[in-house]
Amino acid sequence: MSTATKTRREAKEDPRPVKRAGHRVRAQRREAIVLVIPALLPILIFSVIPLVSGVALGFTDATLARNAEINFIGLGNFIELFGDHRFWGSFGIGIVWAGAVALLTLIAAMGLALLLNSDLRLKGLTRVLALIPWAMPPVVIAIVWRMIYNPNSGPLNGVLESFGIPGVNWLGDFSTALPAVIVVGVWAGIPQTTVLLLAGMQSISAEQHEAAAVDGAGAFRRFWHITLPGLRPIIFAVTALDFIWQFNSFGLIYVLTEGGPGGRTMIPPLFTYLEAFRNREIGYASAMGDVLVIAILLILSLYLVNQFRQTKEARS
Amino acid sequence: MKRIRGFGAVAVAGAVALALTGCQQGSSSGGSESGEGDAVTLQFQSLSDQPATQEAVKTIVDKWNADNDDVQVEIVQAGWDGTYDKLITQFAGGTAPDIIHYEASSIASFASDGYLADLTDYIDADLKSDISEGVWDSVTRDGEIIAYPSTLQSYMVFANADLLEAAGVEVPSGDTMTWEELQEIAKATTTGGNYGLGWGLASPTATMMSLALGYDGGFFDGEGTEASIEVGDAELAVPELIHEMAYTDKSIEPTSLTQSGSDVLASFYGGKVAMTVQGSYQAANIAKDAPEGFNWVALPPLEGSAGAIQAANPQTYSVNIDSEHVEESAEFLNFFMNGENLASIAYADALIPSSDSARAEVETMAADEPAWTQVLASGNGLEGPPFLKVEKYAEWKDTVATPAYQQYLADQITSEELSAQLSDGWTDING
Repeated sequence: MSTATKTRREAKEDPRPVKRAGHRVRAQRREAIVLVIPALLPILIFSVIPLVSGVALGFTDATLARNAEINFIGLGNFIELFGDHRFWGSFGIGIVWAGAVALLTLIAAMGLALLLNSDLRLKGLTRVLALIPWAMPPVVIAIVWRMIYNPNSGPLNGVLESFGIPGVNWLGDFSTALPAVIVVGVWAGIPQTTVLLLAGMQSISAEQHEAAAVDGAGAFRRFWHITLPGLRPIIFAVTALDFIWQFNSFGLIYVLTEGGPGGRTMIPPLFTYLEAFRNREIGYASAMGDVLVIAILLILSLYLVNQFRQTKEARS
Repeated sequence: MKRIRGFGAVAVAGAVALALTGCQQGSSSGGSESGEGDAVTLQFQSLSDQPATQEAVKTIVDKWNADNDDVQVEIVQAGWDGTYDKLITQFAGGTAPDIIHYEASSIASFASDGYLADLTDYIDADLKSDISEGVWDSVTRDGEIIAYPSTLQSYMVFANADLLEAAGVEVPSGDTMTWEELQEIAKATTTGGNYGLGWGLASPTATMMSLALGYDGGFFDGEGTEASIEVGDAELAVPELIHEMAYTDKSIEPTSLTQSGSDVLASFYGGKVAMTVQGSYQAANIAKDAPEGFNWVALPPLEGSAGAIQAANPQTYSVNIDSEHVEESAEFLNFFMNGENLASIAYADALIPSSDSARAEVETMAADEPAWTQVLASGNGLEGPPFLKVEKYAEWKDTVATPAYQQYLADQITSEELSAQLSDGWTDING
């Protein structure tokens, strides 16, 4: 769009002297700057400066000691981090957690969105109900689920035991802790994804479905050949965002397990938090933060490049 | 164009000024600015979270405020959970209160970071001689006393007397009880779906470090950053015994090992476990919360091969080095720690007071309560543990020891692997 307006303006201004046109453009630019500054300042002060200083801390030996001397140590932290097997172990857990939550959320939310999109009775009520987990803060969700998972008095084990199945120590057992936490992550993530998918489904025209139905396509084939291709950009965006959010999530797991048992749910943000606020090595912790950002960017760029290539192929 | 630049400059300057005043507010020393007249207000962050103890602390502070118009103390109530993280942000942000309540092993890292005032010259001479050298030693760093030690916790075994009787076990009545006795009683009382012992070991390190002293397991040798670690048979004796009880005898309820102490109390009240190991302070909670007719007793202190010894890791009251009123804060603490006051706090919390006069006071207050006899008896075996002198202990505890013990208690690793994780982790951290 911007290129279109530019060419039109160029066409209009072409006969005029070049000097005057340059002057007008400059004046416009100045006006734009004045309008942008008020919006830019808060971003600069509250986002960019803290972000840059956080990144910079990663190259120092800063600690939280009183009047601590901060020295620039170059890549020292990163070299140390490279050999830190506990950090990379936690990184692996983070990938499993974020990947599993993003994928399972997508599948569950797709089902829910299809259900809400079909013409059922009480549609308005069910759509509101589906949003409830979204309205709850992560800490509250975590506390509620900790009660549900409680090995002695939780309703989950109560139901299992009434069927004669022995109860499971969900959050305390080494094999069930991570899956149990992932279930909570999915439950908390469903509404957001559902709403976005639902919006996408409603933008797909009903005529296409009708035409396909007339041609004899069943519900599954219509979903596969009409709904899914139509939703593709949304699915891609939502999954990518979910992955980033979950990889960086903190409150949910902190309240549920605090990274336990035995470090089995120690996702990278928790690990970084411990390094910063238990071990008081904020320089080293900032280096971890830098590495996490780069890692996420790398993973996502692989995904992005792949997606762009596919859409290009589809178009050509 | 000039005007625009000027506008931009003004906007930037305004924002910077705003940001700077924001910082300034943060870095004033914990709201201890003088109020009306010359009255000084001290902020006192108290962690005592049991209702009776809160009441006791409030009574003492009210008494002080009534007698001292020029130095007023304001209680800031906080809880034990997450205090370390809270304090570190408060100190780093310059908003820490004047008087800080915590415990010796965790306050050590704040002392080494230079946030705590040296109180050596302010401590009342009578109080100084009333508390044993060993306890003072636990709050001394590089020759500076950085806290007043107040009350001490020991680990005690509480038992459901009815269940013991039903299993034909006599309630032990000696001065101490060996670990073998505990193991036998636990085996005898494990019947049907019930277990002999419930032990909340979700955060196992403090318990393990303390009880290891009963087998002469000190873990650390040396002080400060020089300390070295040794995890041998003495250090592993207690975890191995718990492991044997849980997985060979099957007399410890396995779920309880992943729960907190207070979660396990529910199973104890419900008769699902016959005994439970808890901090002595739980005696106050059990007396208050146990269902009507619940027949409970406190068993004698646990004795290992080296005696009934546990770690003396007192609760502490320290003063923020950046406080404008270090002297006034210390004066208040001298008052706060006098025999009568300390006794009322210790009694409400079911903890052992550090000073002899407070201890005598508690003995008379609790003369007719049998559980208290055992609480005070367990206080005789409290010794200053080597880990209090180790600078990076808190770090090692949270990032190395706790996950390692959790894995061992869940039967995921062997005791050799536990030993290796504990010592290798220390080498990693201490560099």
